[in-house]
Amino acid sequence: MIHVTALTKRFDDVAAVDDVSFQVAAGEVFGLLGPNGAGKTTTLRILATLLKADSGDAVVAGFDVAREPESVRRTIGVVNGGMGLYDRLTGREILHYFGRMYDLSKPAIERRIAELDDLLTLGDALSKRAGTFSTGMKQKIVIARAVLHDPRVIFFDEVTSGLDVMARRAVLDVVKAYPSTERAVVYSTHVMSEVEELCDRAAVLYRGKLVADGTVEELIRDGGEDSLERSFFALVERSGLVDADGAAVAA
Amino acid sequence: MVRRIAAKEILSTLRDTRAIVSNLLIPLLLLPVIMLGLPFLLGGLFQREATTVTPLGIQGLEHAPAELVALIEGQNAVLESVDDPEAAVRDDTYPAAIVIPAGLAEALAAGESAALTVYRKMGNLRSELNAGKLESAVAAYRQEVVAERLAAVGVDPSVLEPLRVETRDASTEAERSSGQLAWLIPFFIAIWTLTGGQMAAIDATAGEKERGTLEVLLVAPVRRAEVVVGKFLATTLFGLWAAVMAIVGFVVGGLLLRGAFLPGLGAGAAEMVSVMGGQLSVTPTMVVLLVVSAVLLASLISALLISVTLFARSFKEAQSYVAPLSFLLILPAISLQFRDLIGAGDALYWVPMLNAMVLMDDVVKGAATAQGIAITWLSLSVAVVALLAFAYRSFQREDVLFRT
Repeated sequence: MIHVTALTKRFDDVAAVDDVSFQVAAGEVFGLLGPNGAGKTTTLRILATLLKADSGDAVVAGFDVAREPESVRRTIGVVNGGMGLYDRLTGREILHYFGRMYDLSKPAIERRIAELDDLLTLGDALSKRAGTFSTGMKQKIVIARAVLHDPRVIFFDEVTSGLDVMARRAVLDVVKAYPSTERAVVYSTHVMSEVEELCDRAAVLYRGKLVADGTVEELIRDGGEDSLERSFFALVERSGLVDADGAAVAA
Repeated sequence: MVRRIAAKEILSTLRDTRAIVSNLLIPLLLLPVIMLGLPFLLGGLFQREATTVTPLGIQGLEHAPAELVALIEGQNAVLESVDDPEAAVRDDTYPAAIVIPAGLAEALAAGESAALTVYRKMGNLRSELNAGKLESAVAAYRQEVVAERLAAVGVDPSVLEPLRVETRDASTEAERSSGQLAWLIPFFIAIWTLTGGQMAAIDATAGEKERGTLEVLLVAPVRRAEVVVGKFLATTLFGLWAAVMAIVGFVVGGLLLRGAFLPGLGAGAAEMVSVMGGQLSVTPTMVVLLVVSAVLLASLISALLISVTLFARSFKEAQSYVAPLSFLLILPAISLQFRDLIGAGDALYWVPMLNAMVLMDDVVKGAATAQGIAITWLSLSVAVVALLAFAYRSFQREDVLFRT
């Protein structure tokens, strides 16, 4: 479903993404695991056609992100932690606004809203203006907006930051339920437990480089530790990107 | 898609009560207030000061000729003796004072000249007005004295005026009726277009960045050109709305002044009304020319707003970018007053922004030419397209869209 090959993106002298390659199969939840500044968001932005890679290739749902950006955009959904919504529009108006961009008819959007209401319990969020939403309501509408057009690939970028325990659980359940034989999820996070719970496979990113990838069990084994968190640090240390004091080595 | 993006921006801005009130209703109310309020206020103040009997200080009342005293008191003033006229004016006991030197009557009778001193506070309008009463009374008395002296030697007073100058106004009816402050019309239209459009522009660009919605919009299957044009149309609409409100306010103000209030105003207020363009006559052709020019000017300002505010990371930062833009409007408006001295002819019509103001000024004064209209509209259209192309390029730039 996703093929990323030697992807590189530099901002001035800093390599935000440095020769990163990975693949995601249909039906998978693929994790991008790493601390802030690891290159997770930049990678997702390239895959979502928001940024152009300096070199390398990326194909999403059969479309090249550099050469067929509009086709890519029709097949993807994006949920980011910013939870950006139009404060003066109601949840229903927001969903209609974006639904029309995907050429969905008004009745089709309404049908989809009904389905998402059942799945996410949108409730009052549909009729209230987004400026009055609680954090949980915001996150539900953000997710509904991202899956409204039933995208084949959906990117989640640090979506649980700042969420309370109930809202976080609702998000994780949606992520778990989304993949199918024709759909895949890329889930970016720095929270190890979320990767352990959700991801079939994951890539460990650090300072723009892909340090390791595989199933959670493989990552733990490769790190030689008894937990993903300990193995993560072991893998990063072994990569040579941190010095003995734990500080990052300049790329 | 352009229509949907524009519709969403319009709906979003329409639900911003503060923006609607401050940017769209105030221009409707502000111009009538200026047009009605200034003549009423200033005219009323002038009239009150002219008709109210005001006590004025005098030193040497006993030396003052009765005719002079009568002339001063005929100016709605009453004279009260003071020992120190300068101090009396300085401490605001009297708005003005006059000093009559001892032996004035004798000196005049002997055919000699004498000096009278008038005390006033320079820069104090009330003091200046009342000092003017004293000076005009003294001038009238001086004429009487001169006439008497000439009559005494058998000379006709007209020998002192071998030449007379008669000034006739050669301006057109439209130029006369547009008032001396007619340049305010294009200035108000421009400034209200900027004010009305900026809320929509900032909300549609920097606001989208700050909320995190721009990223979501750009991953939807919509062309960036459609995003730019949609946001531009919404911004132009709100700019125009504010400008139309300003025009409606101006017309309503003018009609109220001319129809309902002018007959009841005093002479001073009526003169102020005329200065403020209260006698302005607007023909249907003028309305069409004004509207088209305003649409193009609003388009130019909107394209500029979109181009500039997109660079900002937040609403606040965008507001700081927009503030200097008002100078782009104020400078042409100021230069409009010195247009005759600049004397650049048709060259002014090629300068975007300035040309719209020059043309609107021409229209109001009935002096618009086909060439001036054509050059202005062409120049504005080219500038709008160029700015939109710049905004489109900015919407492609990662360093602009994802500045942190």
